[in-house]
Amino acid sequence: MQDSLISLLNNTHVPLAMIILSVVFYLLGYFRVFFIFAGFLLQALYLFSRGIQLGRLPIVGPHDTLFFLSASIVLFAIPSTGKLKNRRQFLYPLLMLSIVFMLLSLVYKPHDVPLTPLLKTFWFEAHIVLSFFSYALFSIAAILGGVFFIRKGEQIEILQYKIILTGYCLFSAGMIFGGIWAYLAWGTYWLWTPKELWTVILWLFYSLYLHARLRKWWAGKPSVTLGIAGFFIMMFTYLGVSLLMESSHAF
Amino acid sequence: MNILKNILKIFLSLRTSIWLMLTLLILLFYGAFVMPLKEEFLNLHSEPLFQWLLENPLSITWWIWGAVLVVSLLAANTLLCSIESLIKRRSTRQLLLLIAPQIIHAGFLFLLLAHLLSSHWSFKGTTFVFQGTILQLPNGLDVIFDEIHIDLDRWGFVSGWSANIRYFREGRYVTGDVIQPNDPSFQDGLGMYIKTVQMMPFPAALVEVSREPGAVWALVGGVCFPGGIIILLIMKIIRET
Repeated sequence: MQDSLISLLNNTHVPLAMIILSVVFYLLGYFRVFFIFAGFLLQALYLFSRGIQLGRLPIVGPHDTLFFLSASIVLFAIPSTGKLKNRRQFLYPLLMLSIVFMLLSLVYKPHDVPLTPLLKTFWFEAHIVLSFFSYALFSIAAILGGVFFIRKGEQIEILQYKIILTGYCLFSAGMIFGGIWAYLAWGTYWLWTPKELWTVILWLFYSLYLHARLRKWWAGKPSVTLGIAGFFIMMFTYLGVSLLMESSHAF
Repeated sequence: MNILKNILKIFLSLRTSIWLMLTLLILLFYGAFVMPLKEEFLNLHSEPLFQWLLENPLSITWWIWGAVLVVSLLAANTLLCSIESLIKRRSTRQLLLLIAPQIIHAGFLFLLLAHLLSSHWSFKGTTFVFQGTILQLPNGLDVIFDEIHIDLDRWGFVSGWSANIRYFREGRYVTGDVIQPNDPSFQDGLGMYIKTVQMMPFPAALVEVSREPGAVWALVGGVCFPGGIIILLIMKIIRET
């Protein structure tokens, strides 16, 4: 079964068809929530099959990480918008963002080369998975921030805060797992590289958001704006630094 | 007395925390763009931070000095705010909701302590070794590299490497170990890491000896910080349901 799945995936048309079908389902998600589940199922199946093909989690290189981020957005968007009225109006912009990341992943060639031994460890995998889960949550928070400015409502601002707090928790845990990995791999839990510095900038930015929100002046629009601005810092930390700067995290 | 009171008031203020974080953000933002452009930063990994700061001109290092100052103020601010919060709300019924942010703050302070210790007393040395090489370590131990291995997978890609080592003190055998990627050997406060190997023309390995005095505190902080956030999240969920 595993071999037949791998040979099926080696045919380049099958993964592409899965991705395109997933995009179509997400577009149809505006009409029926069922299509969102179907699209996510296809994304999960694609990730699972890549994992089987590679014999590890597909979380290395821009193709796999962008796809993972796209799927993570939907994974968290479904439960986090569950209690909202007119749920689809919140879900749809999130699905659009997920589609953008999914299509962007197609620009890059999948990283099919075996990993260097330094990357074959639980700590690395946990570091990456937690980081991308938090990126997904920060993305959702930013989109909700955009919706807040269009539709208003305290409920959206509170939801944005909760999502950022959860993302901050996962991001912090991801940084700590990364530190443990770095200590075991390189003998230090901290490296002075642009990526590490940007990671701290992102972490500090959301720390600022969480503290600022406690003050009256920052509550409401200013804190929602911070929640949106965080998305751009996150995108630069993830893609900008990895693609533009020399770093231990370069793709 | 009034001046001291005013200083304390400033340090107990959330507004101070926000301004300090904002200042730190700006400094790090500047540093993140400058760092890749200056070659002086290339050897920042090879020596303790404070030693590197003293060896390099202020025109390059000023933003790190600034960040150290702001972080110190932030540490004092965090500590004082936490103490004040515990004293003021000690009679609260929701004890966990009171303690959770303080656990997060304690984690942050432990992480800062870790960086402070490592910035002062860390050590790092890198060298090539061959089979039979004896290295003298700063902790008085000698280490002998007996065998260097490389593993290939079925496609011919390198899947791992390792070296068998033995420690001696004043000529007497202490213990033996195997070092491989992500699996260093720790002995008397020093870590022995194998970075890479080459088998041609003869087996050789790039090894690193390092001491991170802040590692344990970083781990303590690393447990406290997300632990506190998880408690906070759970408490918020319980309060709502």
